Amino acid sequence: MWDHRNPERLEQRIRVERDGSVTALSGKVEFGQGIRTAFTQIVADELDVAIERVNVVLGDTDQVPFDFGTFGSHSVAQETPLLRKAAAFARHQLLDRASVKLGLPREKLDTEAGAVVGGGKRLPYADLLDSEPLAGVIPDRVSVMPETRRKYSGRPMSHVEARDIVTGRATFVADVRLEGMVRGAMVRPPARGAKLRSLDDSAAKAMPGVIAVVRAGDVVGVVAERDEQARAAAAAVDAEWHAIPVEGPTAEVPMRSDAGVDAKLRGAPVRLAQTYVLPPISSAPIGPSAAVADVRASGATMYVGTHRPFGVREQIAKTLGLPEKKVRVVPQITSGTYGRNSSADAAIEAAILSKGSGRPVLLQWTREEEFAWSPSRPEAVLEISAGLDAEGRIVAWRYDEHTNVHTAAGLDPQVLGVTSGRNAIPPYAKFPAKVTLHIEPTRLRTANFRSLAAAENVFAIESFMDELADLAAQDPVQFRLRHITDDRFRRVVERVAERSGWRERADGRRGRGFACTVYHGTYVAQVAEVEVSLAGAVRLVKVWCVVDPGQTLNPEGVRNQIEGGIQQSASWTLREELLHRDGQVMNTGWDTYPIATFRDAPESIEVFVEGDETAPPTGVGEPGAVPTAAAIANAVYAASRARLRSVPLTRERVRKAMAG
Amino acid sequence: MKVALSVNGARHYVDVPLNATLLSVLRDDLGLTGTRYGCGRGQCGACYVIADSRAVASCLITADQAARMEITTIEGLGKDSRLHPVQQAFIDEDAMQCGYCTSGMVISAAALLGHDPNPDETSIRDALAGNLCRCGVYGRAIRAVLKAASPS
Repeated sequence: MWDHRNPERLEQRIRVERDGSVTALSGKVEFGQGIRTAFTQIVADELDVAIERVNVVLGDTDQVPFDFGTFGSHSVAQETPLLRKAAAFARHQLLDRASVKLGLPREKLDTEAGAVVGGGKRLPYADLLDSEPLAGVIPDRVSVMPETRRKYSGRPMSHVEARDIVTGRATFVADVRLEGMVRGAMVRPPARGAKLRSLDDSAAKAMPGVIAVVRAGDVVGVVAERDEQARAAAAAVDAEWHAIPVEGPTAEVPMRSDAGVDAKLRGAPVRLAQTYVLPPISSAPIGPSAAVADVRASGATMYVGTHRPFGVREQIAKTLGLPEKKVRVVPQITSGTYGRNSSADAAIEAAILSKGSGRPVLLQWTREEEFAWSPSRPEAVLEISAGLDAEGRIVAWRYDEHTNVHTAAGLDPQVLGVTSGRNAIPPYAKFPAKVTLHIEPTRLRTANFRSLAAAENVFAIESFMDELADLAAQDPVQFRLRHITDDRFRRVVERVAERSGWRERADGRRGRGFACTVYHGTYVAQVAEVEVSLAGAVRLVKVWCVVDPGQTLNPEGVRNQIEGGIQQSASWTLREELLHRDGQVMNTGWDTYPIATFRDAPESIEVFVEGDETAPPTGVGEPGAVPTAAAIANAVYAASRARLRSVPLTRERVRKAMAG
Repeated sequence: MKVALSVNGARHYVDVPLNATLLSVLRDDLGLTGTRYGCGRGQCGACYVIADSRAVASCLITADQAARMEITTIEGLGKDSRLHPVQQAFIDEDAMQCGYCTSGMVISAAALLGHDPNPDETSIRDALAGNLCRCGVYGRAIRAVLKAASPS
């Protein structure tokens, strides 16, 4: 899936512009995870130009090479070597051209701050473009800059977009303004998948500012001059719907089936079985979905927030009945959506409204629409049983994950295993195990959310590991170390214990909990300290985290991502629950779906980036969020002896567990 | 309805529907899109502007009500040559990820420092409690505001 089988061409990756600035092209998309900054660093280093001279174009389907999508924290790992190679190849071509132009051998030439230098001469890159642009197939092997000459990679750096963001200049999707652009608002059915029975738009059409009421199949919307007018008219459309229940798929995937697990479980001297429960949660971006569509007879241009610009191009082409090459998708920076933007719903709706009205249309979903109509993280029920031998080692493990489908990637068992079943197999030394994924139907619309099922599975596995340690009367960190064979994994566990002063016990109503995991090759271990009031209120006080994401390009970017993952995961764990009845979401705003605020943020989140520099870079957008729930629940246990197997850890739940 | 607004030190005359919010006038009539829509109910802080020295949700007041106030948006907070100390501190501390909530946070912090040049951490948390961030940069934002309060 991630292979680039065809050799890439330089002109698809790097352009040295007439003014000597450099444009780098990637099909990946920025969501605040800092990839633009990381790519800028690499290209500036390899082409030996000042970082301000590099412009990274992400996801514009008319400009960038095809890309499957920005998922699973793959972006840096996948794109870094490609961009580095392309930029290095461009530098070699510039040196070759300069050699001819100056009549000097290549070996006598070098680059320096956007120019080729040598023999007392200095030729800016811009002067080397007069014949033709840089082009050609990028060879398999290209010699890259020695590490000693890298000025930016590996150094802490703020987001390159930071100045535009703090001054308000940054253009998010809903900030795109086109000539003649008008506003859209959708007429929503009572339930997902409902069929339109009849439509009376006579009142709506007569309202001020209304340009068109658009219907395409079961999609209905209003286009008006202003936002207020579009919404008022959408409310005045009289539509009758026929509701048809839509249910997600069912599947069963054996992920590991070692022989004799049940017999070994029965024969073990110490056994434990527990069940852990997580509710569905909302991706809940601060900026609700938006899209701008400019559909004309000659083709369509779409300004969207998406993880997969080429996927959106395909969907829009299909929606509009246009060939794909007539659709251009230009991703804008967007509110963090943590996976939710894998679905192109707002873009499709905007395209329909633009086509139906003949005008460029901005469609901005409301907060209520975002909660009600966007896909959510599925719920999960995790059943684990394990047996320990007399020395307290795990001898058998049985795991049943009951959840709903996590992506639209299909029902192929292998795909389900790595998506809806992500991290269901424990990262510990191989003991006989039986791991089964059960995909159960739901009427709730579910789809990609940060780390897919890993956050749920690791909550269960790491809570259970703590319970096993307790049963074996062992220290939780030591118990894990006895089951770890991978050196990098061992190192992050030992380091976080050192960094947090794990051996010091917290005082009074405070307690510390530990959890760790390996997520897509990134090793992460965390310690959380909480305070639990007598009434059961949990306050997250501190978090320590050690992460090994392999070779690290921007340690500050890694820290920011991991801190954010921990903070978001703390919010999931302590506060969040999506309520729905037969798939109809009940939460309508931040009052009914509260998330962590400034007042809830812990005193400190200390992230230690200790990457193995000999290992290839791995993702950091997701792993920080994965072990936090278990670290917090384990800390609550340490503080109060209340073992919480359901999240969120609400005051009522904790108080009840303390009493029981 | 014709309304005269004072925004970022300049007078603007607009003709808008009676129910138009300050937020929609800023974004759709004045082209000041740095003030973001987040919830339309004053629950998230993404649309905060400074109105007569206080941070307020521009989605909750009408353009007509705003006509009696001096409005400062994120675009008017500093100059490009010299950013407001809070803006500079947010860059220096990399106190952002996606940046969608940043305008509102910077506005709340600037309004706080206008009243209390040396706030402690609790005052900062209280002043920014109405600004939700989903990417989780609260810790960095607190550090940035502390830094802006005592530049050294």
